[in-house]
Amino acid sequence: MFKLPSALMAAALLCVGPAMAADFGRPATEAEIAGWDIDIRPDGQGLPVGGGTAEQGEPVYEAKCAMCHGSFGEGVDRWPVLAGGEDSLTEDKPEKTVGSYWPYASTLWDYIHRAMPYTAPQSLTDDEVYQITAYVLYLNDLVEYDWELNQDTFVEVEMPNQDSFFVDNRPDVVNTRCFENCADPAALQVVGTIGGVSPTGHFKEDSGVASSHYGDDAPTDEGEAVAVALSADAIAGEATYQQACLACHGSGIAGAPKVGVKDQWTQRVAQGLSTMVEHAIQGYQGENGYMPPKGGHMNLSDEAVAQAVSFMAESSQ
Amino acid sequence: MKSLYEPGTQDLMQAVAKEASQLKGSDRRDFLRKGLAVAAGVTAGAATPAIAKGNSADMAPNVPSWTKQLGRGVVARPYGRPSDFTDLQRRTVPWLTASPESSISFSPLQDLKGIITPSGLHFERYHGGIPEVPPESYQLMVHGLVDRPLIFTLEDLMRMPSVTEVRFIECPANGGMEWKGAQMEALQFTHGMISCSEWTGVRLSTLLEYVGVKPEGKWVLAEGSDAAGMSRSIPIEKALDDALICYAQNGEPLRPEQGFPVRLMNPGWEGNTSVKWLRRLEVGDKPWYHREETSKYTDLMPDGRSRKFTFVQETNSVVTNPCPENPIKQKGFIEIEGLAWSGRGSIKAVDLSFDGGVTWRKAELKGLVIPKALTRFSFKTEWNGEPWMIQSRAIDDTGYVQPTLAQLREERGTNSIYHKNSIHTWNVHANGEVHNVQIT
Ligand code: HEC
Ligand code: HEC
Repeated sequence: MFKLPSALMAAALLCVGPAMAADFGRPATEAEIAGWDIDIRPDGQGLPVGGGTAEQGEPVYEAKCAMCHGSFGEGVDRWPVLAGGEDSLTEDKPEKTVGSYWPYASTLWDYIHRAMPYTAPQSLTDDEVYQITAYVLYLNDLVEYDWELNQDTFVEVEMPNQDSFFVDNRPDVVNTRCFENCADPAALQVVGTIGGVSPTGHFKEDSGVASSHYGDDAPTDEGEAVAVALSADAIAGEATYQQACLACHGSGIAGAPKVGVKDQWTQRVAQGLSTMVEHAIQGYQGENGYMPPKGGHMNLSDEAVAQAVSFMAESSQ
Repeated sequence: MKSLYEPGTQDLMQAVAKEASQLKGSDRRDFLRKGLAVAAGVTAGAATPAIAKGNSADMAPNVPSWTKQLGRGVVARPYGRPSDFTDLQRRTVPWLTASPESSISFSPLQDLKGIITPSGLHFERYHGGIPEVPPESYQLMVHGLVDRPLIFTLEDLMRMPSVTEVRFIECPANGGMEWKGAQMEALQFTHGMISCSEWTGVRLSTLLEYVGVKPEGKWVLAEGSDAAGMSRSIPIEKALDDALICYAQNGEPLRPEQGFPVRLMNPGWEGNTSVKWLRRLEVGDKPWYHREETSKYTDLMPDGRSRKFTFVQETNSVVTNPCPENPIKQKGFIEIEGLAWSGRGSIKAVDLSFDGGVTWRKAELKGLVIPKALTRFSFKTEWNGEPWMIQSRAIDDTGYVQPTLAQLREERGTNSIYHKNSIHTWNVHANGEVHNVQIT
């Protein structure tokens, strides 16, 4: 047997393997970690210093959240419902909301801070997050209007459904590998589709079956699409529109002129395309609401935004 | 357009081809498809199925036009794309979600062969759109209960020892629209939230060993850099077992839809845990209970309580031929095919029933059988116009037998949304049409 010099031996033992002896990565500084470490836990770990009341949160929520989630958290169109649904979890159509379902208030702070408002995530200050969180809890009758939520009072919030979660206990059903007489043919009941959604046929929208994972029930009013002849620019802009503008302009939330509704566009079109394009690229505060620069998608080129504007304007004539 | 319908089929085909040649790209594909469908409709009554329906000028005994001219040269398309004569697409159901940035598209399982999903057809699910992450700005931060908090670049990760594995990813809501009743008249929509790729990357265990996990470290928070800041708590056991930090899919860099440049991949677990556009891993002593593991991805039971951390995708299977999109066109020989998979391990066997579950026969496994990957099965038989209630039942190497819908509903009710892995039924009618039904 070979005898390794002992220093080499020690080196070999220390390494995970020869390849891992190399240096990968570099130390993360505290400032770098602080910039990205945004997670909050149920025990309050991660909460920044700060605070706010539902009273303070109301105007912020009205300005930044209500257009999608509704003034009472009831959800506009298909945007998620945030409040209500008490005692509905055993019902035929349970309504899972912050109040009726969420086990921890920390989740609300964490989620609003990381992902909302939908079109401008991570744009709220810590105090705003406290205020809005308090307000959403208030909408669910969980805190008082003037009670201050802060890093210390946080643990006082009691979520009604907290104790209703248990760790996965599957496999929960046991089937057997039977080959003959496995069921009584006379007792078999065959039930066909309710909706009939197929990729080749037309989507049938009124399926009647809830798909609550995705929001509310399938809507029944489709709104007839009217075919219009589009310019080359407009055709090129459709994809950008779908990706970056539809969130507001498809439903008309936040005061955005709804695409396809002619009288919401007549005056705007009359200003001339270049004004509209400039407004869309730079953003502006109008009478109806705030149009964020490039719809909040700063990675879009000016040209792509201009094409999207053409698409929107031409589709609304 | 009306005049198109008047001439015979052959002229019709030529007219279609001519009109199509004036269009470009996807328009042409769409047009050809519709044109072909029209032509097929015209001939269906007259022609017998064995006769090709193309342009007879290009068919024996005539020498085809493409034989008599040069075709395209190399690198005309530096990155190739599918033939213009094919039309495989991911599809979505627009009313499922409020906005396309948080939505889902389904893989066209009905059109696919083998077990690998082409990268461009991998199902999509994200909650805040697809971020465009420049690889030179990419950083993976690993911190928390570790000896050495580090930041890795993409180059660092690609220099580390790597592994390559074929694994499926499935959204736990796959089939979830059908808890209360059959609803989707298409395989793409009943089962299309699953795809299977060859993934390459660094084992998460390699990375964690490298940074040194402290003994109190029991959970890892994985966080994406997308607008949703997608975040999930992963138990350390999984992290040290087979989880992967992936940068390649089917031989090339990840697609943007799949998390370019780097994603986490938890084999056999619900897709949502395989966080895309991964920016951060934090080791902690407890789970974080973020929105995607409380409000979503928990399973509501009939008694009003809910299961949490329902990670594993249990054994499932479905027949892909025939299916609503692939009706039986001809009597006689038919190869029944389908896909089976298990998040717990390998598929050991698949059984088929043609009578709605009264009697069962064993199918063959076809091609590669890989743990936590799609596995194809096959059964060669004949169909002579008799109605079928065709079902498949998969068994994995833990001995778990795919359950019936009645068994699942009995235990879980109909409001748990996720993890519906019950035996699926297609009803084949005498005319060869196939419909989605449920047997109760
Ligand atoms: C443009 C519409 C829009 C606006 C404005 C908006 N949201 Fe949302 N919100 C959404 C969408 C869409 C989702 C679901 C995202 C997903 O699918 O993951 C959501 C999800 C949520 C949820 C989680 C709901 C659940 O049941 O899991 C909360 C809480 C929430 N939003 C709070 C807020 C707050 C607070 C604001 C204002 C600061 C806000 N949202 C602004 C669209 C919006
Ligand atoms: C967060 C919601 C939101 C998004 C996303 C958004 N818009 Fe808007 N947009 C608005 C609102 C609100 C207005 C109306 C402002 C007013 O006039 O009061 C508006 C107005 C406009 C107008 C009319 C300008 C005028 O001069 O009258 C154009 C054009 C426009 N948006 C283009 C776009 C384009 C292009 C995109 C995508 C790149 C986009 N918007 C995305 C909210 C949005």
